[in-house]
Amino acid sequence: MATKETWRLIYNPEGDVADVVAYGASVAEGRIAGKYQLSTTMVPDTLIIQRSRERGIIAGADVGVEKDLAAAQKITVARLARQGRNGAKAVGTIQLNELTSKATSKFKAVDVDPDEPAVLIYTSGTTGNPKGAMVTHRNFHFQCSTIVQSLLEFTHEDRVVGVLPLYHIYGLANAMVVTVHYGACLVLMPQYSPQSLLETIEKHQASMMPAIPSMYQLLLGLARIKSRQVRIPTCLKHCMSGGAPLPLAVLKDFSEIFDTKIMEGYGLTESTSSVCANGVDGVFKEGSIGRPGKGVEMKIVDDQGKEVPDGTEGEILIRSTTIFKGYWNNPAATKAVLSADGWFSTGDLGHRDADGFYFITDRKKDIIISHGYNISPREVEEVLAEHPKVSEAAVVSLVGPKGDETVTAFVVPKYSGVNGATGAADEAPTHRELHEYCELHLAPYKRPRSYVIVDALPKSATGKVLRKELRGDAEDRRLIERSAP
Amino acid sequence: MIFGKSKATDEVPLGLALTLEEITNRYRKREAIRFESRVYTYQELDEEANRVAGGLASLGIGKGDRVAMMLPNIPEFVFSFFGIQKLGAIAVPFNTMYKGREISFILKDSGAKAIICLSNFSNLIQEIQSDCPELKHVIVTGQRTFVFVEPDGTVNVQMVFEKSRFPEPSDAFHTIGGALVSAFKELGVKDAWYSHQGAIRSSGKKLATILLSEIENLYVCNIMTWLQQMDTAPLFKVLYVPPEIKERALEPMTSIKAETGQDVSLDGFKDVLVRRIGAALGIEFEAGKLTRDEVIAYEKNRALSARI
Repeated sequence: MATKETWRLIYNPEGDVADVVAYGASVAEGRIAGKYQLSTTMVPDTLIIQRSRERGIIAGADVGVEKDLAAAQKITVARLARQGRNGAKAVGTIQLNELTSKATSKFKAVDVDPDEPAVLIYTSGTTGNPKGAMVTHRNFHFQCSTIVQSLLEFTHEDRVVGVLPLYHIYGLANAMVVTVHYGACLVLMPQYSPQSLLETIEKHQASMMPAIPSMYQLLLGLARIKSRQVRIPTCLKHCMSGGAPLPLAVLKDFSEIFDTKIMEGYGLTESTSSVCANGVDGVFKEGSIGRPGKGVEMKIVDDQGKEVPDGTEGEILIRSTTIFKGYWNNPAATKAVLSADGWFSTGDLGHRDADGFYFITDRKKDIIISHGYNISPREVEEVLAEHPKVSEAAVVSLVGPKGDETVTAFVVPKYSGVNGATGAADEAPTHRELHEYCELHLAPYKRPRSYVIVDALPKSATGKVLRKELRGDAEDRRLIERSAP
Repeated sequence: MIFGKSKATDEVPLGLALTLEEITNRYRKREAIRFESRVYTYQELDEEANRVAGGLASLGIGKGDRVAMMLPNIPEFVFSFFGIQKLGAIAVPFNTMYKGREISFILKDSGAKAIICLSNFSNLIQEIQSDCPELKHVIVTGQRTFVFVEPDGTVNVQMVFEKSRFPEPSDAFHTIGGALVSAFKELGVKDAWYSHQGAIRSSGKKLATILLSEIENLYVCNIMTWLQQMDTAPLFKVLYVPPEIKERALEPMTSIKAETGQDVSLDGFKDVLVRRIGAALGIEFEAGKLTRDEVIAYEKNRALSARI
């Protein structure tokens, strides 16, 4: 009878994080040494089962972990040694540096049709699958050479903070591509925290920063709390805010404390990011998205597509060389938003004032229709956000099991840092307080019927509230289900 | 006057790659990228982009092909992006926090032939790769492994064995995945299933990860599973994640306890796992410890791991 092959079993139930790293590595090294007969005994195939008795982080060589913060949480950090070219690599993968080291540093760009897509950026709509927006070479070129040029003083002397994710159109167009277009310098931040952003601006003496409102808010908070310990950078010449509305108080205080100018921009993936801006030349209208940049046409239309007079609400349409080519492999979706004469329907509702400033009132698809009335969630949210105990709010219509709709407000309590080291939020408002506040400021049909206090609102990478997640009707696309056999 | 803020630069050519080449000609030695303590000039950026273009071309990627990118803001993002542009190919960058079907939809819809991602995302990609027939190449960069272990929840399993044991890596994955599924089922997780290369799932969530690496003549298989749900609160005090995206930062994970309601001891888990792996591979186990040479390597690796 043939005897079965025997493996070695190493069981280490009371180890630590360093063991998790070191056991596997040492067995692999031992076996490789055996292969070259540097060792006298051949190490058998091995199974190791371990548990660490301490909390730990196993971190690759390129991961930065703050040692003090980890120690405070009793988390031990075990560092993986940098893998050289001959180190372990995941099967079925190619190392980028191996691929590029074999290639030459000379390569002449192939000719491209400027109206062909340079990128596909997937955007999630309210329903259905994400759509791949085709943004062309010409779109990027016009954004940089004409629109940005009309709004900002951008030169090759600038240093631009790359804190926005570059996979998003805002960071891609307004941090990376524009930097290269002007021959400026991009300061990359792989991982954002308010503290590291503050330090990066100062360390690299950055002069431009495209960011989102929450970043300005948190930087401002940090500057106030730590004004004695940290140096507040005053090197920023221009800041841009986008993705979500920037509260006026933040804009004013930030400009003052950081001695800079903030411009609020508006744009979409389909318009290659910003098409208009508020605050150009210091002309700022509260609550406005500003006026169109050079080469951009905008108008407000009614449901029939007819332009409406100033002050009347309708959908915002944009025509510009930055308007995308369409959705990848999706002519129906393209046709729904892009007219034959080049107007792009943004899905945003708003109006224009007599000075040509545009204002957004809501997303068309977010409007709640309750008992025959149109309710603008944004209007209700703005009222709630003015409550002294509220930081921000999001209003959605929740459908009950019998199909009945309840206008529900998700409310984040204000965080002022009064609870110091505990990091806890301030006292949350009661439902009664919120209701009474809405009674004072909103018509009866607009008042939420219920309130939910939450720690944070779910948001996209650029700070847009993800309403479908609040409604709970979003399928969790992170999951992988087994397909039917 | 609203228009004309920036001094118009001399005409920059149309086309992202041509723009980079023109700017490089003008500002060869000027700084293009600052990243931590490194500085890359325009010349270096252009050369790196050229190497990416050449490397991708050697894989058969050319004009009009889609190349997905799942990278944070690191220099390789910029090199890869412009490398793709130099080929006349189409970059498909997407959110680094995407998981599961979010990724597979984009890869399938765009028909990407290759993806350039962080090494620690390769596991996510490989798990869905069989759903994306056009995706031929998974190109990885950076050493950004980030694993959180917790005493009550996490079990780490490693296997080190000769590559020659299996004809193909996928056979190793399948055999080990099958052994794990049978172990989980024995422990009461009825719906555990092996989801291609990389994971055991139940209720759509991850119950175990399987990462297979190769080094010389060996496979090193790292498996991680959870006896009970981890308390991730301390982790988020070390790693800053804006509160509104915390939910998205981690993959949806489950545990034996969450799936069965039962507490399973580490000893109990070990006994079942050892028996199932033994049966799947047709082998026996003998309790052992590190050899003298391995102990030296072990001490060295421990010392290296303590260096921050």
